[in-house]
Amino acid sequence: MQYVIGIDLGTTNSALACAPLSALGDPHHLPSAHLMAIPQLVSPGEVRDEPLLPSFLYLPGPADFPEGSLALPWDQKPDAIAGSLAQKRGAENPGRLVSSAKSWLSHTGVDRTAAILPVNAPDGVRKLSPVEASLRYLEHLKRAWNSRHEDAPFEEQQILVTVPASFDAVARDLTLRAAEEAGCRDVVLLEEPQAAFYAWIERHPDWRERVEVGDLILVIDIGGGTTDFTLIAVTENAGELALERIAVGEHILLGGDNIDLALARFIEQQLAPKTRLDMLQLHALWQQCRGAKETLLAEGSAQKDAPVTILGRGTGVVGGTIKAKLRRDDLERILLDGFFPAVSSDDMPQRVRRVALQEIGLPYAADAAVTKHLAQFLRQHASTAQRGAVRRGPSGLACPTHVLFNGGVLRANLIRDRLMDIVHGWLTWEGMPPAVPLTGDDLVHAVARGAAYYGLARHGRGVRIRGGIARTYYVGIETAMPSVPGIPAPLKALTVAQFGMEEGSSASIPDREFGLVVGEPAEFRFFSSSTRKDDPPGSMVEDVREELQELTPMEVSLTDEGGAGGVVPVSFETVVTETGVLQLWCVARDGRRWKLEFNVRERIAPA
Amino acid sequence: MSRMVLAFRCLFDVLLHGRLSDQAATALRLGTASAAPASAAAPPVRPGEAALQLLAILQRDSRLVDFLMEDISGYSDDQVGAAVRELHDQCRQSLTRYVRLVPVIDAVENARTTVPGGTADPSAVKFIGNVPAQPPSAGILRHKGWRAASIELPPAPRDGAAVIAPAEIEVEE
Repeated sequence: MQYVIGIDLGTTNSALACAPLSALGDPHHLPSAHLMAIPQLVSPGEVRDEPLLPSFLYLPGPADFPEGSLALPWDQKPDAIAGSLAQKRGAENPGRLVSSAKSWLSHTGVDRTAAILPVNAPDGVRKLSPVEASLRYLEHLKRAWNSRHEDAPFEEQQILVTVPASFDAVARDLTLRAAEEAGCRDVVLLEEPQAAFYAWIERHPDWRERVEVGDLILVIDIGGGTTDFTLIAVTENAGELALERIAVGEHILLGGDNIDLALARFIEQQLAPKTRLDMLQLHALWQQCRGAKETLLAEGSAQKDAPVTILGRGTGVVGGTIKAKLRRDDLERILLDGFFPAVSSDDMPQRVRRVALQEIGLPYAADAAVTKHLAQFLRQHASTAQRGAVRRGPSGLACPTHVLFNGGVLRANLIRDRLMDIVHGWLTWEGMPPAVPLTGDDLVHAVARGAAYYGLARHGRGVRIRGGIARTYYVGIETAMPSVPGIPAPLKALTVAQFGMEEGSSASIPDREFGLVVGEPAEFRFFSSSTRKDDPPGSMVEDVREELQELTPMEVSLTDEGGAGGVVPVSFETVVTETGVLQLWCVARDGRRWKLEFNVRERIAPA
Repeated sequence: MSRMVLAFRCLFDVLLHGRLSDQAATALRLGTASAAPASAAAPPVRPGEAALQLLAILQRDSRLVDFLMEDISGYSDDQVGAAVRELHDQCRQSLTRYVRLVPVIDAVENARTTVPGGTADPSAVKFIGNVPAQPPSAGILRHKGWRAASIELPPAPRDGAAVIAPAEIEVEE
């Protein structure tokens, strides 16, 4: 093993950073991680190095590209292409484009190992599962790496793959499975906001002078497709500063793409009444709005507006050109009122509307107000955080002392300042001093860099954030009651793994035994909560529906080894592996063990 | 050119002028000052193929050919301006990505400048105005000139090189 490789497998863009292990000499000075440019097809017949790999996969058909124009340095005839060309061609032919695979990977409403992507693929087009799509991106990165490092094959390096902190145990397990299938032998998962914080530490070797025991760091990560919150507490361990990740938010499908789409909708309404835009022009409008937004939000920009131009279709460019302007005050209004409104700290986001019959699609956030989601996060987690390290105000709100920003959206000063203002307002209301923004740089690549840093930290150099599992997990148990037709037996939940259970530890729940029939698969309903942190293993939750989220069921099949058959009484044991993956085992009295596997094949109705 | 003649030609060219003449360079199949350095390394290309490829790239990335072939006489300056701003931006990005352009003489325009190397190569420096019988070694720089320091085109498409932009057919439901 010569390198640690950090991979940011993003919803819209992926990045890879690496650091050589050979440079590990001085324990107080870690070698810095650097990004690897990723060779990819950018046009037919043209492979170019780009800093990011757009997380798009295109499944080319017979009439898509000229013969031989998809050759990569490592594959003369790929059956699917990843990256920039996939993104461009996919805009023209969306039926063959796989996008947002990562959001599908964390979607509990579908079978994530079934070939469901592209969702709107026409008949006759091959489909892939969300797991396989993730695998394809990782494979592209692997082969790109190997084409540059013949003496250090990817398969033999230490790989760190980042996942959103809000990923549940199933999504983490599937990500790990994809990484292993891509050939990673030594792979560890890391939460993205933690990786962003590691990147900050990497850039600030004097970080111990910048924070003190009792501080609470809020990480706000807003990427292209998702928003993720995390709280990290600064604690003390054997006289040294230590870091502990004490809360993570829910999975919120809301990000920069939503902002660009909102701007495009707004501009479309401003166009002359009879203007008709075709599919490609709408896509161009979206891109143009993103460009105009970035121009106006760029540091030091004083422009009052930025042009939005959609060139004419057909061979007439000038004749069909549609022009509009994105004005700064409109942009600010849409951003600040729509996505970052000034709200009080008890303003909660609107609940998701649930329609009985839903079209298959991603569960996008119902409320676009990021600040309301933030308020909910700080409120919910303060009310249950038990570890004493959380600073909170009189009303129970968690009160951060520092805020770290990450993700492309937060490159804009306007948005960072707005968030700081709002958090400041909440803190003042609680009678707390203002929080300090931690300036990170390179908000787009920090996660990959931070992951590589963490890889070095695992080799005993540098600080590690203690976190453990990000949720509490439960197994559903039907209560013993006389059955009533039409009414399901009430369900209770047995806690099998508590929030914060650390990597490399295990817990057994000996008091509860279940009789399992040998040779027949037994299925358990599986639940989680990111807010109930105080349920110790073995405790029961009476009302499952109120606070718990149902995940994919788990199943186990007891093999008939001795040929004895019959019923075996078993109890549960929970293990969190060193790589950060939760495992559930059934243990018989004589010590025999069977692992429970996620059953993602079955479609699950929302709880 | 026979080998002997070529050998003497090269000798005298270098002795008298300090550089190979274009004819000698061509006979030796060396790149000349006006030819692109990158094309020397690339496999032999059919005449015009690289030019068509560059046109195709500029059309693909910025729709330059659409623009040049369009009759714009009927449109207002405003309308043309809006299209050109967008087009210019993308055209420039794509041009600078594949061709590295540098001035022939990197000096201030409209100021006095000396001809680099003392004597001028007519393909690189053009004298205008009251030019004396013997080309001078200095004058007012009116245009810096452009030179391609390098060209890095992607591998040429195997066939259909004469197609600058494919026709597009949309399939409706």
